[in-house]
Amino acid sequence: MALKIIDTCVNCFACEPLCPSKAIYKAEAYFLINPKKCTECEGDFEVPQCAAICPIEGAILDSLGVPINPPGSLTGIPPEKMAEAMAELQAH
Amino acid sequence: MELPVLNEQPASKGGCSASSCGTTDDQLGHLSDDIRAKVENHPCYSEDAHHYFARMHVAVAPACNIQCHYCNRKYDCANESRPGVVSELLMPDQAVKKTMAVAANIPQMTVLGIAGPGDPLANPERTFETFRRLSEEAPDIKLCVSTNGLALPDAVEELSKHNIDHVTITINCLDPEVGAKIYPWIFWENKRIHGIEGARILIEQQQKGLEMLVAKGILVKVNSVMIPGVNDKHLAEVSKTVKAKGAFLHNVMPLIAEAEHGTFYGVMGQRGPSPEELMELQDACSGDMNMMRHCRQCRADAVGMLGEDRGDEFTLDKIEDMEIDYQAAMEKRKVIHEAIAEEMNSKRAAKAESANLHAQAEKLTTRPVLMAVATSGQGVINMHFGHAKEFLIYEASPEGVRFISHRKTDLYCSGDDSCGDGESVLQVTIRTLEGCEAVLCSKIGFEPWDMLEQAGIMPNGEHAMEPIEEAVMAVYKEMAAAGKLDEAKAEQRATA
Repeated sequence: MALKIIDTCVNCFACEPLCPSKAIYKAEAYFLINPKKCTECEGDFEVPQCAAICPIEGAILDSLGVPINPPGSLTGIPPEKMAEAMAELQAH
Repeated sequence: MELPVLNEQPASKGGCSASSCGTTDDQLGHLSDDIRAKVENHPCYSEDAHHYFARMHVAVAPACNIQCHYCNRKYDCANESRPGVVSELLMPDQAVKKTMAVAANIPQMTVLGIAGPGDPLANPERTFETFRRLSEEAPDIKLCVSTNGLALPDAVEELSKHNIDHVTITINCLDPEVGAKIYPWIFWENKRIHGIEGARILIEQQQKGLEMLVAKGILVKVNSVMIPGVNDKHLAEVSKTVKAKGAFLHNVMPLIAEAEHGTFYGVMGQRGPSPEELMELQDACSGDMNMMRHCRQCRADAVGMLGEDRGDEFTLDKIEDMEIDYQAAMEKRKVIHEAIAEEMNSKRAAKAESANLHAQAEKLTTRPVLMAVATSGQGVINMHFGHAKEFLIYEASPEGVRFISHRKTDLYCSGDDSCGDGESVLQVTIRTLEGCEAVLCSKIGFEPWDMLEQAGIMPNGEHAMEPIEEAVMAVYKEMAAAGKLDEAKAEQRATA
């Protein structure tokens, strides 16, 4: 049972000091979670702290590999609207 | 007729006799002497000072505790120039070294700010470590910090211990329903709180923090982002309230929103205000509050005079090799600061003198005109048209000359053609100058000259190295003498 940070992490440091288990550390390219230490904040907080502050959708996965903050959940931008805007920019 | 100068008070607002305007040569004119002394060499607070002094930001604060709809936390672009964007994140010891390197090499740099790219107070260890070391090792540098305010009440005590006498709070609203359209969530007491509830907490913390800072005697400037259709109607009330609570300056900035920034507002097509809308709101607020009009909306790692960025000269690998003797640098800086202060004082005296004479002179009855000025600082016209990355916009009228705003020519991006839509630089520049009837610069080429004339903007390179206000007034009088400024034309323009 552990959460995972993936490579879309932008190295903002926000999660690191919040972790009650000191499981989060700065690695070469981005932050990582030590799965042996991660408790998903059980017993400490109602919600996993890293996922509650992370500003990047999709950057933190639950133990099943599912993004805790799916596309659109943090920015409020509907994913299809984002895709549309990006396609528009690519076309230029 | 003599040369009047009035910089802040709009002529239409009343209470602005030419004699008082002559001495209030920037928006700080009616502050008490002790506050004025604190801010007169601060480029971000004094319109006058920003022609002479430089500032820098160190990007030691990447974490944030809220999300704003005008911000994209993924953004890292060397070509972008706007708040929240950086190229290189620093740890406190790197930030201290960089600050001292810049101070030694750009002696006009008087102010070090921490402004992000996240929220400085959401990174208390890195922010306060940087401040603590700089207060000790570089005591001649003013320190300031800007914050969204969420963590401010808890930080006031610590802030008051350092050499920080200025704090900027970004306050976009007082009404949580408006706030919910700007802030999708905040992180508060170990939870992410969305919508109106999150906005309500943020607004309460901002107001509480403002009151606590004022009670401690720390100067507070309030920044607001003007978002048409969201908070534009609300900001006059914000201005009134923050003034009543003791903020000394209000800076209303235009929303920057482009789809390529990947922000909520950018992607959803929320527009920013036009220069005219911004000016109108600033004028509306100025009856209640000292307004700031020269903000450049810098990156969180900007270095140099406002509007310029010399960050490339001070990257980590470059400062690594620099040997800085800060004691020697401080002595050199002191001499230079004193010389600048002397120059500023003599210019102030000259302005007061000419304004006094203007008060006795017969007034023109001509309409006001906007003019653009190309300058690299020192308050004179000293930049080639083609080199200008931004123009300062002044309004000349029978009441005198007042600074209105700056306009960037590169629309916050200095990348090559591949990241724009192919419009030529010159076309973009001319579009930027819309509404202006003249542009004053040190020199200008034939091609832009023709294009400007066709666009109805009169190029003028005859006032190179002259003080800006004097030159603008001289051009205004030439226009008046040529009969270009009768009121009927103004009405035509207004309805066009």
